[in-house]
Amino acid sequence: MKVKINIWHLFLSTLIIILILPVLWMILSSIKQEADFYTVKLFPSIHSLTFSNYTTVAEKIPLARYLLNTLFVAISITIAKLITSLLAAYGFARFNFKYRDFIFMMCIFTIFVPIQITMIPNYLLIAKIHWLNTFPGIIVPQLADAMGIFLLRQTIKSVPASIFDSALVDGANHIQILLKVLLPIIKPAFIALGALFFINAWNEYYWPFLIISDKSMYTMPLALQLFTSQEGGTQWGIMMATATITALPTIIIYAFFQKYIISGFIKSNIKG
Amino acid sequence: MKRYLPVMFISPALSLLFVFIFLPILFTIFLSFVNWNMIEPNIKFVGLKNYINLITEKHFWVAAYNSLLYAIIAIVLDLILPYITAYAITRVKSSWHSLFKILIFLPTTLSLAVGSIIFLWLYNPVLGPFSYFLKEIGYKTPIGFLTDYHLVIYSLSIIVGWKLFGYNVIILLSSLLNVPVDQINSAKIDGATPWQIFIHIIIPQTSPTILYAFFMTIVLNIQYIFVPIQILTNGGPDYASTNLVYLIYQYGFNFFRIGMSAACSIVTLIIFIIFMILLFKFIDKKVYYES
Repeated sequence: MKVKINIWHLFLSTLIIILILPVLWMILSSIKQEADFYTVKLFPSIHSLTFSNYTTVAEKIPLARYLLNTLFVAISITIAKLITSLLAAYGFARFNFKYRDFIFMMCIFTIFVPIQITMIPNYLLIAKIHWLNTFPGIIVPQLADAMGIFLLRQTIKSVPASIFDSALVDGANHIQILLKVLLPIIKPAFIALGALFFINAWNEYYWPFLIISDKSMYTMPLALQLFTSQEGGTQWGIMMATATITALPTIIIYAFFQKYIISGFIKSNIKG
Repeated sequence: MKRYLPVMFISPALSLLFVFIFLPILFTIFLSFVNWNMIEPNIKFVGLKNYINLITEKHFWVAAYNSLLYAIIAIVLDLILPYITAYAITRVKSSWHSLFKILIFLPTTLSLAVGSIIFLWLYNPVLGPFSYFLKEIGYKTPIGFLTDYHLVIYSLSIIVGWKLFGYNVIILLSSLLNVPVDQINSAKIDGATPWQIFIHIIIPQTSPTILYAFFMTIVLNIQYIFVPIQILTNGGPDYASTNLVYLIYQYGFNFFRIGMSAACSIVTLIIFIIFMILLFKFIDKKVYYES
């Protein structure tokens, strides 16, 4: 069999280069010397590459603190969202109760409400209970996720009902069924969802931006802004190093879980 | 006891959604009828005045027009192009699929804040790589990607487009892979061209997912675009990049006109709901008819 290089290969390769280039550019720029940004050459010589931007970042901002802030927020949100989504998905998929479909529809409706519409009341609420500049202030409003409920409900519905019924006959209660019967079956989808929750929580800019003004509480996406639009002008190398540090954890998580994430999407096969 | 069992399962998530989404919507409706600056204790009821002020303000119509333009660009960048890309993936040998998918999805995992910073550098009018290439091929630089009144929406859309692209490719690909192979094969035997197969079999078969992706693209785009607007342009130059959602923020947190901000929220939400209803009607008629 001969390898056919057709127009589709060409199209896809070009497209992938365009999509990946900004990421490569970020990494390359993060190891460039500041002076090299102001020369006409696009690519600096290999000898002038340096890690000094990274050490400068660590000197100028409390990097460890910001990374720990982001990690703590992202892990808390991921675990809580997984629990609330799994419970609700199980409730919707496995029980018949009054107004179930209506409540589920209302749940799905929340996916389509832009966060900015609820922003002022939520801000006022968080301010009122003195949660501005605190972890609970960032975390608590983000503990439930209708998309997660929707995707897990789809997955649970694809599990044959007889599996649940026989476990019930054997005398297991619902929590035991959830943990010992269901979770092992839906593990791939559950891991995929967890990875996506973590990536999204790590990347979250909008809500922390609104309620965090104390610099010691910054998460990484907020810290990025410390190097833009400041009086002293922009230091590109340092900015790119910070961006790379911010991006690296999500790239690593993605690299580890990409099989689950992508097949999780394919299997969920959402239909309009 | 048995009756309350399902309630116990759904109540943690539901109560959170109620407190942080439904109650705030109700409270926003209330705020849209008052005059308040968030600081003073006195709140004045003004009836429909905020709504009248809103639709007579030029900025509102600029933001509404911009929102429409953002949506149209998003449909091209994040629906049509990903659909062609997903189709392209189905046309190459399946041993290549996973590598293509992994690389195409990668930008989706990055923060929009990171994306904005990368593109701030790419867009730099004097030193940035885009300017460099455009100068090489004979364009006049500097080009104000983020400061040109007509260019800025396209520049910001590319950032969000870059992030959303892979997400939609994966979703659309999953439906393309589900198109029954025997239908395509029998069409081929009947002498149909690839183009005819694409138009008459593949597009109708995947239309539910196309509509889902269409809707998600518009919903996600209007929220996502907030981040590059906030980091790179603050809605400028002269409101050229402001959309309805950013206007909500500007009224609320820049001008402290809470009533106006709330009115803008409610108008945006109503536009969304009307759009949603129309779409579901369309799905009912068209998609079920075809499948």
